[in-house]
Amino acid sequence: MKNSIKNLTVFVCICTVITVLLAITNSITAPIIEKNQNASVNAALLEVMPEGKDFEEVDLTEYELPATVAEVFRETEGQGYVAKLVTAGYGSDMVVMCGVNADGVVTGAVCTASNETLGKEKTYGEGFTGKNADEVDAVDTIAGATKTTEAYKNAVKDALNTAIILGGGSVDIRTEEEILADNLNAALPEGEGSFEKWFMVEQLDSVDAVYAAENGAGYVFVTGEQFVGVKADGTVVTDGVTAPESFAGFVATIQASVLEDIDLSVYPDLEATVVSAKKTASGSYVLETKGAGYGIKGGDEYHPASNEYIRVRVSVTPDFKIIDCLTVSEAETDGLGDACADESFYGQFAGKSEADYTEIDAISGATLTTNGYIQAIERAFAAIKVLNGGAQ
Amino acid sequence: MKEKSSLSVFLNGIIKENPVLVLVLGTCPTLATTTTVNGAFGMGIAALVVLICSNIFISLFRKIIPETMRIPCYIVIIAGFVTMVKMLVQAFLPDLYATLGVYLDLITVNCIILGRAEMFASKNTVVSSALDGIGMGIGFTLALTVMATVREVLGAASFAGIAIPFMESFKIEFMTKAPGGLLVYGLLIALIHVVTHGKAPVKASFSCEGCIHSATCVSGACKREGVES
Repeated sequence: MKNSIKNLTVFVCICTVITVLLAITNSITAPIIEKNQNASVNAALLEVMPEGKDFEEVDLTEYELPATVAEVFRETEGQGYVAKLVTAGYGSDMVVMCGVNADGVVTGAVCTASNETLGKEKTYGEGFTGKNADEVDAVDTIAGATKTTEAYKNAVKDALNTAIILGGGSVDIRTEEEILADNLNAALPEGEGSFEKWFMVEQLDSVDAVYAAENGAGYVFVTGEQFVGVKADGTVVTDGVTAPESFAGFVATIQASVLEDIDLSVYPDLEATVVSAKKTASGSYVLETKGAGYGIKGGDEYHPASNEYIRVRVSVTPDFKIIDCLTVSEAETDGLGDACADESFYGQFAGKSEADYTEIDAISGATLTTNGYIQAIERAFAAIKVLNGGAQ
Repeated sequence: MKEKSSLSVFLNGIIKENPVLVLVLGTCPTLATTTTVNGAFGMGIAALVVLICSNIFISLFRKIIPETMRIPCYIVIIAGFVTMVKMLVQAFLPDLYATLGVYLDLITVNCIILGRAEMFASKNTVVSSALDGIGMGIGFTLALTVMATVREVLGAASFAGIAIPFMESFKIEFMTKAPGGLLVYGLLIALIHVVTHGKAPVKASFSCEGCIHSATCVSGACKREGVES
């Protein structure tokens, strides 16, 4: 017992001595370590704002900023701000650092991380240096990576807006959905703010999208940047529309479009690939087809045992041009393949023909799902050929 | 153990009882940090500092550290010094800190340090222990640096981060991987054996008596099993 107490006392003494030594070392090194860490953060910030001296983090709780803004650092001498932006959506998640000076000009932008190994986005930011808010859109896109480019440009715009907001100004930071809702409402007030996207089954010249008022008051046609409101009786509500009679014609076309069901039991070959088929009065087809779930690798279905298919609704003119496309259902991987349900992906097929429907931006990180989706479109074209053959 | 001259204590660790190449201690950090000369040298110096400090400290308290509690005491002392060295490296050599990563913490369980505490510092004077720490530390650093030089020059065509242009086309990437490390390690052990005419491992001087397991080992087990020649 006596021995144990002695042993323990010695051990406690040794521990105490070591603890004191550690405390002394820590008191010397802790401030230096903190300074080093700040310096490494500063080095990253200096990369996008080379003329900055020192930076301090801004408390963002009192500001309403774009959703991409994760952190903001203020240059202590008032030279501007550096924003850390995290873009999301369509599989191109990136972390972008962007510096904006006091004049609202980008001092530098760099992508520090993306969900794939940094490719072209690594150096893409260089092109934004010296640009102001009006010039950002004119920066060249990365070939073959439209969505990444778009996400990058939006991030830079968010950084520019952030600088304005922190400087006491105000900017429109509504989401795309809110902006769309406002535009629709302005074009057709009779719709009372409630619209639904109409799946285009008929070819309407130069119309990108159609929204139908849920109360039946009429339609809003999106042509380029313009929103044209047309009442159900064909009266164009929006001012300054060239050729209003064509819109009246579109309304008539929409109202007259009757979808005739095609009995698929006559076509046993299509049973495995086509869920439903309809034909319009003008001869266009509206098909729902299946693409391989979990995608296609090396020509084979990657996960053939699965019954989870990508279901795609596609409308096609008699001369094999895609009018509209929509993902009905999918069971792809969260955060990767499930981006095939985003309009930014399936919207790419509208306007494509049999010759060029494969020339779309693949979902980054989900090539197999993209292949599966293209298979669904391919099957639609194949099915139409069978249906045409059967009708003759 | 008979008293040795200060010089021989110091020189012992460098070749004759080189901790890495003769005693074959500290193999894990040796293989892990010898992919670059800078990392290996930094690791060697860090271990050297810890080794000197812990040797002095343990030798200083060798009379009062209770026999039954000695391992926990050693570990506390060693871990304390490792943490101090880690803080200092993080503060003053942040690049090296990033290179060494977790291996810096692992100096705590580097058997060279515990081995020297048990084999030497606990039985010798403070001055001898300090010299032993310096000698062993230099031996460790030298072994690591030589090994890293071979691996980095052959494997990455550079020395201490400086590219060697004419080696660029002859890179053997295998050397920077674990098997390359083991190969170089083995060859260096063989080289030491040749250089010292096979006399380097004077086994009797550090076997049973000096072995870190001697306290728990049934005395003479090695002899009975014919390990010792």
